[in-house]
Amino acid sequence: MLLRTITSQPKSISFPGKVKATQTRGYFGANQSRMAVSRTAMILPDMKSAEKLNSPTSRTVTQVFDANGVDVTPRPLYRSDTHVGTAKPSKLLTSQEGSRGSDYISSYSFYQNTLNPSMLGQFTRSVLGSSTVSKSSVSTTESITEDLEEPSYKWERLASFTDLRVLRTIPGKILKEDLEKTIEIILTETETLRLFDLPTVMLSVESEEAEKVSQRNKNYEILCRNRLGNDLYVERMMQTINGAPKNKDVQCDRIIKEDKGIMSTAWDLYDSLNALELSSLPAKWPAADSRSRTNVAAKPREQRAPGSTTEKNSEASSLMDIENVILARIHDDEEDRSEAILKSDKFHQDLFFMERVLMENIFQPKLAAYRQLPVLKEPEPEEPKEFLQGKKVEEVEEEVKKEEEEEIEISAEQSTIPANLERLWSFSCDLTKGLNVSSLAWNKINSDLLVVGYGHFGFKEQKRGLACCWSIKNPTWPERIYQSPYGVTAVDFSIGSPNLLAVGYHNGTIAIYNVQSNSNVPVLDSSAFPLFSESPQKHLGPVWQLQWIEQDRGTTGDDKREILVSISADGRISKWVIRKGLDCHDLMRLKRTAASSNKKGGEKEKKGEALISRQAPGMCFAFHPKDTNIYLAGTEEGHIHKCSCSYNEQYLDTYRGHKGPVYRIAWNPFCHDVFLSCSADWGVAIWQQETLKPFLSFYPTTYVVYDVAWSPKSSYIFAAANESRVEIWDLYISTLDPLIVNVANPGIKFTTVLFAKQTDCLLVGDSDGQVAVYELRNMPTALDSGRGDIIDTLLGPKSHQPG
Amino acid sequence: MAEVEETLKRIQTHKGVIGTMVVNAEGIPIRTTLDNSTTVQYAGLLHQLTMKARSTVRDIDPQNDLTFLRIRSKKHEIMVAPDKEYLLIVIQNPCE
Repeated sequence: MLLRTITSQPKSISFPGKVKATQTRGYFGANQSRMAVSRTAMILPDMKSAEKLNSPTSRTVTQVFDANGVDVTPRPLYRSDTHVGTAKPSKLLTSQEGSRGSDYISSYSFYQNTLNPSMLGQFTRSVLGSSTVSKSSVSTTESITEDLEEPSYKWERLASFTDLRVLRTIPGKILKEDLEKTIEIILTETETLRLFDLPTVMLSVESEEAEKVSQRNKNYEILCRNRLGNDLYVERMMQTINGAPKNKDVQCDRIIKEDKGIMSTAWDLYDSLNALELSSLPAKWPAADSRSRTNVAAKPREQRAPGSTTEKNSEASSLMDIENVILARIHDDEEDRSEAILKSDKFHQDLFFMERVLMENIFQPKLAAYRQLPVLKEPEPEEPKEFLQGKKVEEVEEEVKKEEEEEIEISAEQSTIPANLERLWSFSCDLTKGLNVSSLAWNKINSDLLVVGYGHFGFKEQKRGLACCWSIKNPTWPERIYQSPYGVTAVDFSIGSPNLLAVGYHNGTIAIYNVQSNSNVPVLDSSAFPLFSESPQKHLGPVWQLQWIEQDRGTTGDDKREILVSISADGRISKWVIRKGLDCHDLMRLKRTAASSNKKGGEKEKKGEALISRQAPGMCFAFHPKDTNIYLAGTEEGHIHKCSCSYNEQYLDTYRGHKGPVYRIAWNPFCHDVFLSCSADWGVAIWQQETLKPFLSFYPTTYVVYDVAWSPKSSYIFAAANESRVEIWDLYISTLDPLIVNVANPGIKFTTVLFAKQTDCLLVGDSDGQVAVYELRNMPTALDSGRGDIIDTLLGPKSHQPG
Repeated sequence: MAEVEETLKRIQTHKGVIGTMVVNAEGIPIRTTLDNSTTVQYAGLLHQLTMKARSTVRDIDPQNDLTFLRIRSKKHEIMVAPDKEYLLIVIQNPCE
């Protein structure tokens, strides 16, 4: 083996050809370009070329030659490119001016042609010719071997080439003239470069060589067939030398795998689809909620509540205190969040529903009976009925009591089981204990909503007052609580805007609440405006009855406009209109009637008091169900005046029959000629419109009758509440005795009655703050002939009866 | 806030109510009237059930959502008001 150490020449950068020029025997062509080319060509077939491209010029290279002078230097498996890069620049620059420049250029061009045709343009001008010559000379002779080695060369060349290319773009000096010089760029078509040539192995049948090829194929087939068993062909095995394999191990980083699964559900997809829309909403619900809570809490409460159980109890300060205390604790975030949860509106609502659900569970039998639904039978025995007493809200004025109709005990003849009242439950809570129920009213739209006014009748017994809105669905706690220092004497819900509640107080003020909101502050208050307190418009005495009336404006073109009518002990019937505030107009001033031909003893007494007041305190009123211009007003004197809205000075008629204050007047809902009145003279009287004397009167007991009401189902049935008992009368059956009598517990007076509209239930309020709900059972079925006629049939035979 | 407390107290004192609890989304009780282990047990089990119930409701109609869940058993009735952040659970013996 011949070893020759070659120091690479400074100018030969990384061209193996350069290096090899000294070593390889063979073509030392005169043409240097050719030489360069041939060098490479020589290298290729040898396959033993010593060092390859990357040998840096400055490095001494050891080359190994075998006996024949063939270069058998082992090639390293790994070549670094860095040498190429570093060595190049100097070489290039020097080489450019050197004599070998053309070599380089040609070599470049050569490689360009083989490797990167797009770069050709740069060097085409000068090099094209030579390069093509060189290339072709190489290619024709060494094409086959060339191909084998080219890839590796290509790779190195590429690296070197690109570097060179880059370097070449750095000219010596760029002069300004150069920049402005117009440079001619001639684009010519290069010869076709073959990058890849895969000769086809298929020929068309129609081509010229087709015959030859098919002939060859046939010969081959014959040959194959003849091969077996043919002497010409011998199979012999041969052992090949296996190269020694070398194992190379590489260790890579561990690939961490993670399994992630998700169940795709319909709602998940839907949520993801909507997530984009919702992402814009600020996700600040805790802050928002706490803010809303504090805002709500900060509203001032109207009156102090001794039990502090009003809806909006939390004052802002206490809320802040709680928050501070909580924040001082350790787990701030968690505490904040749990507090935020507790304060959130959603939680509040959930609590509300939960309570309702609980109520439903507890009271299911009662509520079902109320709503006339089948009762769910529990496996265990049912609990005993609670004493929920329905509170009836009708304004009952203490001083004016109508004469109660005499209640006569009725023996049950209609059915084996007598008609009776079954107590279902009662609305009561701690707040209402001890208060007197003064008024009851249903909401006009929501038939489950009941408002109860609590207030004492007598002047001396005045305590604080309360107006509570109860829902049937929750008999243990009212939905809204409106407290006031004065007793509530009258309540009514509006018809047109059913969320408005009018409350009349013992001191003559009227307040209007909006039950939709949670606040305790009335929307309008007749006492709030100082104007009102001095004006003669405000009532000076207790407001004994309030009612919202929808009045036909008739010719004025206005639709039914709703007005609030109130009657009070100062003898005025006023109508209130809500414009900017409460506007009040007097509908009527009740004057004391002069002693007429049928004088009453009471009147004479009052005459003596005429100096104090010429007005008779009004206790109740009732608008005609059909003609809202006509109404009846009952006074403390015991007179019932028929008045019209058109006249505010004169009465149309006066019905005299009661000797004591008339507490309640009620028109028959079916027969519009008939009305009912009750009074403090223990009597209840039925009147017919045209007759000024009562048509029927009842004096069942010696107790004051506080309230009467017609049943909405039958025109014969009405209920009366006196101090000791509640009576249900059915005129069809008997006019002497009440159908049902329900005696009160001792010490408790029944003060108000109210019929439930859709169901057969009666609400009775008493003086202990309870409103009991009774179910009317086994009532005699009403005859289905026209309701209006019924009273006439009564009237007919009974018209002879003394009034 | 005090109103919430008061309502909670009222619920707890209703007839037949065995226990009331409010747990947050992680199952940590915020308010409870039962002992901790029972509360945690209820919270964990009911949480899963609520998720399943909600998934069922929403699978049928994605615009729908679960508002209330009641489980009536021989002995009591469990009422759950679920929410994203919390669970309100009341256990009642309806017949007493």
